[in-house]
Amino acid sequence: MSKVTTIPFGPQHAAFLEPLNVKLTLEEEKVVGAVLNQGYNHRGMEYALSLDYKKSQYLAERVCGICSFHHSSAYCQGLETIYGIEVPERARLIRTIMMECQRLTSHLLALGHIAEAVGYENLFMQCFREREHVMTLVNRISGNRVHYSMNVVGGVKRDLSEEGTKDVLVTMRDLRPKLEELQRVFARDSTLSKRTRGVGKLPKQAAMEWGNVGPVSRASGIPQDTRLDGFAAYSMVQFAPVVREEGDCYARMMVRMDECLQAVDIIEQCLPLLQDGPVAVQVKGHPKGEAFSRVEAPRGELLYYIRAKGTLGLDRIKLRTPALMNVASLLVMLPGCQLADVPTITVSVDPCICCTDR
Amino acid sequence: MSMLSTSLKNLFSRPFTTKYPDEPANLPPGNRGRVLYDMSKCIFCKKCERSCPTSAIITNKDAKSQTVIRHRCIVCNTCVEVCPTQTITMVPEYSKPDTAPTVNVFSVDLPRHEYRVEHLPRYDGRRKPE
Repeated sequence: MSKVTTIPFGPQHAAFLEPLNVKLTLEEEKVVGAVLNQGYNHRGMEYALSLDYKKSQYLAERVCGICSFHHSSAYCQGLETIYGIEVPERARLIRTIMMECQRLTSHLLALGHIAEAVGYENLFMQCFREREHVMTLVNRISGNRVHYSMNVVGGVKRDLSEEGTKDVLVTMRDLRPKLEELQRVFARDSTLSKRTRGVGKLPKQAAMEWGNVGPVSRASGIPQDTRLDGFAAYSMVQFAPVVREEGDCYARMMVRMDECLQAVDIIEQCLPLLQDGPVAVQVKGHPKGEAFSRVEAPRGELLYYIRAKGTLGLDRIKLRTPALMNVASLLVMLPGCQLADVPTITVSVDPCICCTDR
Repeated sequence: MSMLSTSLKNLFSRPFTTKYPDEPANLPPGNRGRVLYDMSKCIFCKKCERSCPTSAIITNKDAKSQTVIRHRCIVCNTCVEVCPTQTITMVPEYSKPDTAPTVNVFSVDLPRHEYRVEHLPRYDGRRKPE
């Protein structure tokens, strides 16, 4: 009869970038049970967002640092639906380009983080080196590396100039061979393979039951992608969601890697479609009504529900972030694994506690 | 195998990173660093104060000054866009680190784009909450 011990994993742990607590029940080295404990990063964002709708797009950006543009896009899309305005095509294309740039930075961070969690420092550095090219690109376009502050209700504030378009094109052309090289390493490297293949299995049925979204659900064989609904300018580009059947850490890692190349594809498709024209339309009056807004953030479907009552303050704003759905499914992945695999599994979900707790 | 050659290449090549702050940071010209006021143009319409998402600007019409609470400013460029007289400009360089909660006071008696550094007033210089 082996002894059962309980080990708290987090909130401060070397593998986590943010505070998340998992109480693990161990039988020798084997995990037999896990309890999630969240809420270390709660900031009361939903209330703060509803105070002044004119200023909230900047706060929405600050819900999460890695998918900041997706948050503000979702917020602006929601208000645009309430106002019933048509966003100019150029603005939608610029939003799509920036969203895909952000997906690149987010996925490369997640991949580097996985490499670090399995102890592969060198690959982690390589991922972050390629990420830096995208970060400096968005800095040149938007004026900041993380918080672009480009979205306004009705379009975007900053236009993509002629040089900016060329800059994006050149950067993406240079980035593609490097990403392909990284993809080869992630797919074939024996160290990564041994640590990730068959680890943290999430069957398709469980992924459906736990309502998983984004790369986590796609790695379990569910071809679900909000981009197929055609928000922003996704209806104008051709792509198919990256789906893998294995449902383990390796599949989640490879889905992210393939989506990086897909993001480069989408950006390259968007650039020739850019036509001269306005980038924003003016809105008048306070919003009144309610709207749902969905975008595909790097971690999955991000949902905003906005109810406005015709005043400066909003009646209610509700965020359902992708990380909230994905982090919960750790309770399926963790039981049965070894203690040493716990960091790899938690990191492979790409937990964003800023989003989860908001 | 490819990672081994990459490692060896990296071992003998120049570092990819810059040694900030010993070397200047590689900032593009459109970078949003910090805001500066040209007080000779200011008409004290308070548009920047009202539109600031973080309430980082205090306009004082009597003292003819604009106070920027630097630690609150999120450099979102909103004040630059709403200003009717192009008083406010965004410069790419970041402000220097502070050792105390300070504010930058731009006033008409100072030269263009220059400011006084003062300690953050109580209640952020606004009326005392009831």
